[in-house]
Amino acid sequence: MAQELQSINLVAPAFKGINTEDSPLAQDPSFAEIADNAVIDKRGRIAARKGHTVITTNNTVLGTDSLRAIKDYRDNAGNTKLFSVGNNKIISGTTTLVDETPASYTINANDWKIVNFNDHLFFFQRGFEPLVYSQHTGAVEKMSVHAHSSGVASTMYGHEVLAAYGRLWTADFSTDKSTIYWSDLLDGVAWSGGSSGNIDISKVWPDGYDEIVSLAAHNDLLIIFGKHSIVVYAGATSPASMTLSDTIAGIGCVNRDTVQYTGTDVLFLAHTGLKSFGRTIQEKSMPISSLSGNITKDLIAALQNETEFFRSVYSPEEGFYLLTFTGQDMTYCFDVRGTLENGSYRVTRWPSTGFTSFTTLTDGTLYIGTSNGISTHTGYTDNNVSYRFKYYSPSLTFGDSSRIKILKKLKPTLVGANNATVFMKWSYDFDTTYATAEFTVGTQITGFYGESEYTTVEFTGGQLTNQRSLNTTGYGTSVQVGLESEINGSSLSLQEINVMALIGKLL
Amino acid sequence: MIMNIPGYTGTSGGLSSGGLNLPGYTGQSGGLSGGGLNIPTMGNANISPQLAAATPGSSGGFGQFLTGAGNVLGDIFGGVQQIGSAISPAIPAIAGSLLTKEAYDRLSNVGDTAYQRSMDLAERGQQESQFRPFTVTTPTGSAFTARMGGQPQPPMMTGGPVAPPFTPVLRSGVMPGTVMDAGGAFGSGQGRPSAMPNGGRALSIPLPPTSLPPQFTPVLNQVPMTGTVMDGGGAFGSGQGRPAGMPRFAGSPDSQPAADAMARQYQQPTPQPQDGLEIGMSLSPEEQSMYEGLFGGAGRFFGQAQQPTAGREQEIFNRMRAAQMPEEQRQRLALEERLAAQGRLGTSSAAFGGATPEMLAMATAQEEGRNRAMLGAMQQAQAEQMQQASLGQQFLGSSYLPQQQLLAALQPGLTQQQMAQQAQQFGTGLFGETALSGIEAQLLAEQARANLLGGVGSNILAGMFTPQTNKVTGATTPAAGIGDLGGLFGGVSEGLGTIIRGIGGIFD
Repeated sequence: MAQELQSINLVAPAFKGINTEDSPLAQDPSFAEIADNAVIDKRGRIAARKGHTVITTNNTVLGTDSLRAIKDYRDNAGNTKLFSVGNNKIISGTTTLVDETPASYTINANDWKIVNFNDHLFFFQRGFEPLVYSQHTGAVEKMSVHAHSSGVASTMYGHEVLAAYGRLWTADFSTDKSTIYWSDLLDGVAWSGGSSGNIDISKVWPDGYDEIVSLAAHNDLLIIFGKHSIVVYAGATSPASMTLSDTIAGIGCVNRDTVQYTGTDVLFLAHTGLKSFGRTIQEKSMPISSLSGNITKDLIAALQNETEFFRSVYSPEEGFYLLTFTGQDMTYCFDVRGTLENGSYRVTRWPSTGFTSFTTLTDGTLYIGTSNGISTHTGYTDNNVSYRFKYYSPSLTFGDSSRIKILKKLKPTLVGANNATVFMKWSYDFDTTYATAEFTVGTQITGFYGESEYTTVEFTGGQLTNQRSLNTTGYGTSVQVGLESEINGSSLSLQEINVMALIGKLL
Repeated sequence: MIMNIPGYTGTSGGLSSGGLNLPGYTGQSGGLSGGGLNIPTMGNANISPQLAAATPGSSGGFGQFLTGAGNVLGDIFGGVQQIGSAISPAIPAIAGSLLTKEAYDRLSNVGDTAYQRSMDLAERGQQESQFRPFTVTTPTGSAFTARMGGQPQPPMMTGGPVAPPFTPVLRSGVMPGTVMDAGGAFGSGQGRPSAMPNGGRALSIPLPPTSLPPQFTPVLNQVPMTGTVMDGGGAFGSGQGRPAGMPRFAGSPDSQPAADAMARQYQQPTPQPQDGLEIGMSLSPEEQSMYEGLFGGAGRFFGQAQQPTAGREQEIFNRMRAAQMPEEQRQRLALEERLAAQGRLGTSSAAFGGATPEMLAMATAQEEGRNRAMLGAMQQAQAEQMQQASLGQQFLGSSYLPQQQLLAALQPGLTQQQMAQQAQQFGTGLFGETALSGIEAQLLAEQARANLLGGVGSNILAGMFTPQTNKVTGATTPAAGIGDLGGLFGGVSEGLGTIIRGIGGIFD
């Protein structure tokens, strides 16, 4: 007797992002086994990420190197200037990159951190004298030669710099990993006299010893990230009087460039994944939640394999936090708009993007540094090169892992994907060999009735939805469904996948 | 006319009836009555009795005598008679000259006698007014002795414990004591012991020695009190000049120089004066012990007061800091713990001197405390220096208290001694004045007698050269003049030649 097809509707597949931590069989179908070059779009669907568009037309000074850091200078008068670093140079400009390296200043590393502070732009890198740019000087210069500078010494050539509470703070020196220097009030070049000072927290580390990696300012707190611990000082507006507020052992920060402010939280990459301080007004405590709980192992593996830089950016406009392992050319995209039940962000992966640096402008523009120069996070190509969107569901048992499932049809519902070729894939029983059904999405340029004379904007209703029905073969106790598509100029969102299957006998 | 001559005590004579009464002449007859000079006895007048007994104009006496004596003496007596005959007209001139000479000699003798008597009186008065040594002894055993060099040592000069010779007898309320001279205590009336002679010394001045002590006169006038002020153990002083009996100060070695300096300051020349006034003060052993203790203490205090205060300041500062340190340490530890709890041990701010505000505040407070301690130490050291000086002054003053009390006790004794001295001087002066009055009266009498004799002689001589006019008869007798003197000398020489010849005839 023929059995009735069962319809398993995967609504908003991968809505919860990647989950590689839980058992595939027990996973919620809302997770994804793979979600590459994807984001969670505004409607909570998995969608192809945006690409980047290189705006640099002349990157000669960059040579074959990539931009390792980008920062826009902005002063109180509204003057702006974009600076970047790469190829052992200090570079300015967007379309044409200009070498701004001070004369007689040799740079052999590109791990700069750049901060804006009081109409000045400061460049800090361990072992190098800090550099300063200001509109009134019009050039990048060494801090010691900058007007009214004081106390500039090799002891304060820090790797980490923070502009907060009216001062510059620097730490992570070549031979001193426990001291923090702060400049005079509102004077980032005065490191002696005034109210400048320093604090040695070598006796404060909760684990007895640690090394300062990064600094962060949050809610009148100075957060000092060590490699394996965190020290929090309160009252940092008066650094001479600030007091220890909290210490956290066992959790540190991997790299200074993974620290991002989300407005309500401070995100940072620890050795155990992405972490954040959740601010609570009532309790005045610092609960730490794991934001990468669904990809912890993957992230740890990436950490361990990273040989170059970590770069991150927070884009409130896009609603994500990007974390890039430049050595592995892997970017994790954490959707910061909300957390899952376990407190994790929804996460997707952006492999092979070539991103080496980020910055967000005040207007929300996300600048991305690559080997081509500076790009904007726009479009759906990576500098006119397509990239593949991938989605793979976890293994689905349809509620009964003891019965055989025989797939009959896959009915994906796509949004966008103009003229894109879509590959629907499925496999059984955790097999990595997928069966594929290919189809091409038609032109998704909207028009009334599909007639050209009506293909005017005034008659379109937005992105078109494309729903297909694909016949499938094979059987197994668990089924994994995937979708891949080359993103080449058009967005693609996966609205849902309707899986039609027969439930077979018990094994 | 009766001529009264001072000193003439005769009951007749005089110039009545032409007689002449001479001073010292006490005879009952004779005189110049009848034109002869009858001077039976003339006292001190140097007129031989034979001359005085000569009868003018009569040679019967001589003749009987010469007859009785033999012819051998006839020439002599003849000569004498001849002289007498010659002298007879010159008798007035001779008598006048003799009287004048007698007056001159008497005046000379009066001066000498007055000078000799005055010197005797002066010597006697000087001896009578000579300083009498005395000793004042207080009930506490201290004694004050004053004597002149060479005088016997009065009692209580040994310096040892001296028991008062008798119970304090001065009026109640007055420092009892005894004022003694060399021979006994100066009494004060009611309190004088019965065994003591009245007044302690007789106001009658003993006869001075025949010769003045050669050392007496110049001492008091030329040597200004060369005595020695002595304590019971000897003169003050220590160190090199310290007498053997004087103990060193028991204070620190640093205080000894001050004591030595003070001892040198108060030390008097040690040679014992032999001729001048010697004043000695001695204390009882108890007072001496107290004096030494107080004096030594004064030396120590002064010595300490003279020391630089820097060391003491440091010492006080260290003590104050030692008192402050524990609390500072506790505060420092508390702050350290607070800073450690606050994770701020390593905080260094240029605005707070390279530290935290709390550390700077504490350091400031501690520095202020340290500064206050330093200033307090300075003030305390200075106060102690002042206190040492004050104590030294008090000790020094107290050390002289026995001596002051001795001197205070001396005052009543001195009063008594002064009373005795005044009586002595008064007696001496009274005696001198009385004696001098007698001498003066005698001198005046002698002067009067001499003047009388001189006047008689002058009158006689004047009569020789004055013609005599009888107012009754109006007859005028011419003055004998020089012719009589020539006849006198011629007759005398002639008579002397006769006598010599007569004497020569005796041997022929």
